[in-house]
Amino acid sequence: MLLCGTSTASPALMCFWPNEDVWHSWEKFKDDIQEDWETMTGTDTVSLGMSAGAGYVHPEVVVGTDWVEAMLDEPTVRLIEADEDVLLYELGHIPGAIKLDWHKDVQNRLERDFIDQQSFARLMSRWGITNDTTIVFYGDKSNWYACYAFWLFSMYGHQKLKILNGGRAKWEAEQRWMTAEVPYFDATPYYAQPANEAGRAYRDDVALGLKSPGRGLIDVRSPQEYSGELAHMANYPQEGALRSGHIPGAKNIPWVTATNEDDTFKPVDELRRIYVARDLTPDKDVIVYCRIGERSAHTWFVLTQLLGYPRVRNYDGSWTEWGNVVRAPIEK
Amino acid sequence: MDRQEAIDFLLDHYENPRNRGELDHPDVSLSGGNPGCADVITMNARFGKDGKLEAISWDGEGCTISRAAASYVTEIVQGMTPEEIEAMSFEDLINELGRELVMTRPTCATLALGTLKKGVHEYHMHIRAAQE
Repeated sequence: MLLCGTSTASPALMCFWPNEDVWHSWEKFKDDIQEDWETMTGTDTVSLGMSAGAGYVHPEVVVGTDWVEAMLDEPTVRLIEADEDVLLYELGHIPGAIKLDWHKDVQNRLERDFIDQQSFARLMSRWGITNDTTIVFYGDKSNWYACYAFWLFSMYGHQKLKILNGGRAKWEAEQRWMTAEVPYFDATPYYAQPANEAGRAYRDDVALGLKSPGRGLIDVRSPQEYSGELAHMANYPQEGALRSGHIPGAKNIPWVTATNEDDTFKPVDELRRIYVARDLTPDKDVIVYCRIGERSAHTWFVLTQLLGYPRVRNYDGSWTEWGNVVRAPIEK
Repeated sequence: MDRQEAIDFLLDHYENPRNRGELDHPDVSLSGGNPGCADVITMNARFGKDGKLEAISWDGEGCTISRAAASYVTEIVQGMTPEEIEAMSFEDLINELGRELVMTRPTCATLALGTLKKGVHEYHMHIRAAQE
């Protein structure tokens, strides 16, 4: 396995192959690492188009604004806007887009969980979505909630999912057409799969692997939340916990680290560098968390879809669960 | 007020903000917010000789809820005394804005009122100190 790290004396990322025992700069390894990466992820990124676009392992899940604009009248493509700011859709959205309201559409109103298989099928039917529809998510805040939706829809087995790179901000910045008109679609037949929770982790999953060397635990919250300085995210006091800090062994890589200023995802080389530098390589069994699992869904998307990590789970119970559990171990 | 009515109500205030801008000779001018979330609201107020609010304005940037709430607050405090403004309830405000909707962002919903109350409190303290 390629090992990388930084030090006070050498802030540049340095890497080495253990069998060679010689450190080199990350830049030298960028090409060499490709083969090792494919072995670890089980993918052939070259044949998937490393030279095209940003070279993501699953490039088909990220589309640009030109692509979306060209597909606006395509009935087999459905746009879904998922925002953190709950009123943005009503101010204007991409023509034909549906609003996914996280507080109304996909949450179990009684228990802390998501809607079940049947409710998901009814929702898709109401939105005129079939099992063959290509769904393109986009939203505010660097597609934070759009990636959360991608993760949830993946669990119910919808195959054709994409993210509009740059989300709502990029579409607006390019002054593309927006409308306040809410589209109507005839109901469609839809058959949801039983929830495949391979990408979801529960509290016990996290607890059982705390001392496992093959486990990579990523806390994607802000450094202030990770250190325990803040018990909740700014402006979200209702999503706090009785205790602050982080789960033992978790490495703090804020979700927004993976995004550019224009809300797009960073190029694949930069993304790899971010996670490999913290010894979070694709051979690890990775669990990501934040406070309720929405920011960590963004990192889940980056790791699984853009970098091809084969074993990544989102712990959506996250800090609002862990920080309230009696005797749950905590570090500060 | 159901969810859709709350959305329409807040959007009206967001798109047609009341009392937005500067204010001449304010007795109160205070900015509040959370720069980490880009919500910063400045509340300006001036009281008349009868002790009641004579003019008020707000300005700032933030999410839809924080800006709509600021606009609404400037409507409901018209003619109030400093004591009445200080006694205003955040819970009542949240109910009036549409609890189900704004409870997703409670600090945004109460940012303008909290800032105004703090500014008015300081103004009120100075007035009372001057009278004693």
